[in-house]
Amino acid sequence: MRLKTAPAKNLYKYIISYFVLWILLFEFILPSNNILPKPSVVLLSFSALWHYYKLLFNFTVTISAVYLSILLAYFLTSLLSGYIVRKNHFVSEFLLSLHWFSHFIPAIVFGLFLIYWLPGSAYIEYLFAFFIALFSLVIRVNEEAAKVKHEYISSAVSLGVGESVIAKKVIWKSIQPAIIKYLIVLQFNIWSVLIAFEFIKGGYGLGRIYRLALDYNDLSVLFTISIIVGITIYLGTQLIKYFKNKFYHWSLD
Amino acid sequence: MNREILLEVKNISKTVHGLAGSKVRVLDKVNLKIEKPERLGQIISIIAASASELTALLKIISAIEKPSEGEVHLSGKQYHKSAGDIVFIPEHPSSFPWLNVKQNVEFAINFKENIPGSIDNKVSEAITFVGLEGYETHFPDDNSLGFRFRISLARALVADPKIILLDEPLKNLHGETKKEIFNLITELSKKINVTIIIASMNISDAVLLSDKIFLMTRHPGKIADTIDIDRSNDLNIHSDYFHSLKSEIEKLLTGYENIPLK
Repeated sequence: MRLKTAPAKNLYKYIISYFVLWILLFEFILPSNNILPKPSVVLLSFSALWHYYKLLFNFTVTISAVYLSILLAYFLTSLLSGYIVRKNHFVSEFLLSLHWFSHFIPAIVFGLFLIYWLPGSAYIEYLFAFFIALFSLVIRVNEEAAKVKHEYISSAVSLGVGESVIAKKVIWKSIQPAIIKYLIVLQFNIWSVLIAFEFIKGGYGLGRIYRLALDYNDLSVLFTISIIVGITIYLGTQLIKYFKNKFYHWSLD
Repeated sequence: MNREILLEVKNISKTVHGLAGSKVRVLDKVNLKIEKPERLGQIISIIAASASELTALLKIISAIEKPSEGEVHLSGKQYHKSAGDIVFIPEHPSSFPWLNVKQNVEFAINFKENIPGSIDNKVSEAITFVGLEGYETHFPDDNSLGFRFRISLARALVADPKIILLDEPLKNLHGETKKEIFNLITELSKKINVTIIIASMNISDAVLLSDKIFLMTRHPGKIADTIDIDRSNDLNIHSDYFHSLKSEIEKLLTGYENIPLK
């Protein structure tokens, strides 16, 4: 199934309308307010963001933590797929037992423990993002594997193909469109928890800029960073959609 | 003279878990014997009024599923682990949409050791036989059910099986495609040394295709009758022989409905 792109035209219209509305309202009609910053102030805040808040460095830390962790988690899941997708295998049973805990304990709590265990580590956000990505992906793979069409498995079994080959070449392949589509949700989730994590921990990353901006009561930086995060997630989504349509094009109907 | 037994299904029973923890007996002491074909290939049909029992039986014969009781023997040896000697083609398309036609067909032998002869030749022959020559690089995802069935059949053929099990192969096909697949199955039995077992709920298709028909009761499934078809007789949808066979089977199947449910 190809992901729909038709509503994008309407979306751009909305974005332009909001942008014009923001300029009209907050530049001319309500220049002094505590809701949204003046557009001209946002433009001026870029210099402070760049020099004082170290935008490039902090942005690089967060974006690399998000996407490197997703990439690494995907490749590790791919390597372990032969075990993860098998029913009643101890690896999949163990992961499903962890899944149960995730219903009651928010991911950020794990982050708090990491901060406590490794207070001085420079790579702690990478570790946190990687574990969240890996855990989420493995659970998703396990769920999607349970939905694979019986016909694919039955015909492979009757051809005398072994269990590990079926896991790798049939089940893992079959779930790829769903998994790649899930990466869109995953990147959004990781962005959310990672910003919260960096906000709590301090140190580096966009979460750290959010914290400083709140400390300094800097509405324009708060706003600009949110726009940057939004645009990055949007571009990430488009990239994942492109990969899905290009390399994982098949439909399972 | 008695011919050698190719497939023997001995007292196969299958019980599955139904709703609310209940147990449902799908198959009850199914027994059937299929002899090695006199000529090159043969087509055997199993007709029942219920599809689930037919599918369950085919999956047990091909060792995809284990029976609750009983055994399956192939050429005198117990067949309890799929080894590609009995290939099952499900009712719904089973060709992999992430592989093209050639890769789909190669899948059957890519992971096997000691394949005699050239793999490329085997794959090309199978593709040509099912009429997909020229479509080797096409992907099956947006193609017709007939196209996908041909891929599954070619994939089965390269595995060099003794038996191919077809689960209602013509059920979802219509018009020209149904006719083409019908002819393909007939041609297969004439040209290749393989026994084809078809599970069907369609009496007409089964009569026109088969050399022998087994009739199965439902709830639970049990082989109740066997009908041998004389292929030397005039057999087409207008012939008296066809109509007499069809009404005989209909009568028998209707009679099974009066068997008290166990």
